[in-house]
Amino acid sequence: MGVSSELLSHTAEVRLRVRAPSLGELAAEAGRALGQIQLGTTPPVASSPWRDLEIRAPDRDALLVEWLNELIFLAETERWVGVDFEVLACDDMTLSMRGRGMVVDEPPSRVKAATFHGLKIGPTPAGLEADVVFDV
Amino acid sequence: MTVAQDLSHDRLIHDIPMTARADMRVPARVFADDELWAQISRDRSLEQLVNVATLPGITRFAYGMPDMHEGYGFPVGGVAALRAADGVISPGGVGYDINCGVRLLVSDLSADAVRPRMQELMHELSRSIPSGTGRGGRLSLSEAELDRVLGEGCRYLMERGMADVDDLEVTEANGSLTRADPSAVSQRARARGRDQLGTLGSGNHFLEVEVVDDVLDEEMAAVYGLARGRVTVLIHCGSRGLGHQVCTDYVRLMDQVMAKYDIHLPDRELACAPFASPEGQRYFGAMCAAANFAWANRQTIATRVRDVFHRFFGDAGALRLVYDVAHNMAKLEEHDGELLCVHRKGATRAFGPKHPETPPRYRAAGQPVFIPGSMGTASYVLAGTDQASALSVGSACHGAGRALSRHAAKRVKPGHEVRRELEAAGIAVACLSSGELAEEAPFAYKDVERVVNVVHEAGLARKVARLRPLGVVKG
Repeated sequence: MGVSSELLSHTAEVRLRVRAPSLGELAAEAGRALGQIQLGTTPPVASSPWRDLEIRAPDRDALLVEWLNELIFLAETERWVGVDFEVLACDDMTLSMRGRGMVVDEPPSRVKAATFHGLKIGPTPAGLEADVVFDV
Repeated sequence: MTVAQDLSHDRLIHDIPMTARADMRVPARVFADDELWAQISRDRSLEQLVNVATLPGITRFAYGMPDMHEGYGFPVGGVAALRAADGVISPGGVGYDINCGVRLLVSDLSADAVRPRMQELMHELSRSIPSGTGRGGRLSLSEAELDRVLGEGCRYLMERGMADVDDLEVTEANGSLTRADPSAVSQRARARGRDQLGTLGSGNHFLEVEVVDDVLDEEMAAVYGLARGRVTVLIHCGSRGLGHQVCTDYVRLMDQVMAKYDIHLPDRELACAPFASPEGQRYFGAMCAAANFAWANRQTIATRVRDVFHRFFGDAGALRLVYDVAHNMAKLEEHDGELLCVHRKGATRAFGPKHPETPPRYRAAGQPVFIPGSMGTASYVLAGTDQASALSVGSACHGAGRALSRHAAKRVKPGHEVRRELEAAGIAVACLSSGELAEEAPFAYKDVERVVNVVHEAGLARKVARLRPLGVVKG
């Protein structure tokens, strides 16, 4: 099974469904999808150098939320939007990732935060699936 | 409470009893007519409202306003009153855009005086008031200055000559919450907000130039200084990245301490702690600081708008603030002699003439309540009522409420068509993103007339005047 993401219906916010074989790849795909939402278009090829990103959280749901909120923070404070990620290490409480993306002229303020609402990382026959609601 | 119970079979009140789910601590109550109730029932907002009814210390009802729709944690248009003594405070019940709100300014200009220059005016407004941080108009702050904005809000701007006594008198809480604790705002939140004072943000934030096209209560309109044909400016925005990060920080903190307080909830986004606990007090201090930032943001934007109007129209373009009201807040309020922490998420205060927080100059009418429609439809000015305290802990709705998801709205009509239709209706549009224009199109929202009629007929607030858009700057 590969990785995939799709937008699901939500009246006011953005609900993202992500599928991947592992937790690390799930986070990577969610990060890619977030970049696309922030840019409002299919991301071009990454132009920035690779950078390392480390996240810690008490459990894997929180790990995914923390990861996405870190990307939102970087976009707003450094104007860096990640579009390409590689998992270096991942367990339920830590995520080590490297990413590259692009520096944009305007900090993308479209996405305010990733939320816990309705979040559940669950098993599928071929890996994991998660729905994440972003406040936009 | 007696009034509300007497109205429990009213056609505009829909109750969900505590028997609906075992974990409810109070019933849920939605103000809606049959059509709005049907719309509300289509998404997950009722389930979210029932979740709110499980919060420890909640009293009366979990309230849903007529514009209610699906959010996260709380529904948008959700109100909960939690006992300050033994109830909780929930960052998710306030939302990420702390003190997102609306302010209305009014001029003596007529629409005819403004209309010939509308395109030019909207272009200048969009240039002077950026949506983000990359262009001019924003106020860059040193660390010390940011501390003062967080601690004092509009009072600090008055010292800098960007606000006056009249502005503060007609801003909720005078634009300055004294319980603000700047030290509870993280460095990450400061980093997000430092360059954002004076910016609109994106999503449903906007600045509209409007005209008063109907007066529905002459006496109360006169109290607010509104008269048919006068040009107004409506500003909708909040605490920008600073507020977003405060909420993110404290949802994380509350999530980690809930077990300590033996709190178990059906939705992790409702994460909370007792209001009186160290964590609850720290969040409250940070939230008040973010609220002060939001009021200062709207005041800064109003200053820019006043500058532009003066350049275009001279002294005739002077803009007087009618009122500034918050949408996303937790406020300490006394209702029926009980001290409550009232959470309003996408809802607004609607205090009546007798309430001590209604500005003295509005005691004959009540606190102004604004219900913006969407681009292309009317917005309304209403007046809060004294009976709203018993009906809805002094609350009314904050807008028309979304009916269509952003994705669905874009499928209905592309942004360039929305722009063409608005311009054909005589509404000048300044919005860089066609996609966001489509997401905020009039058909994406509920019928504002219907929503306002429910608010009026249920007695939450009384209709005063209707505003029609002449031009819109989209964030």
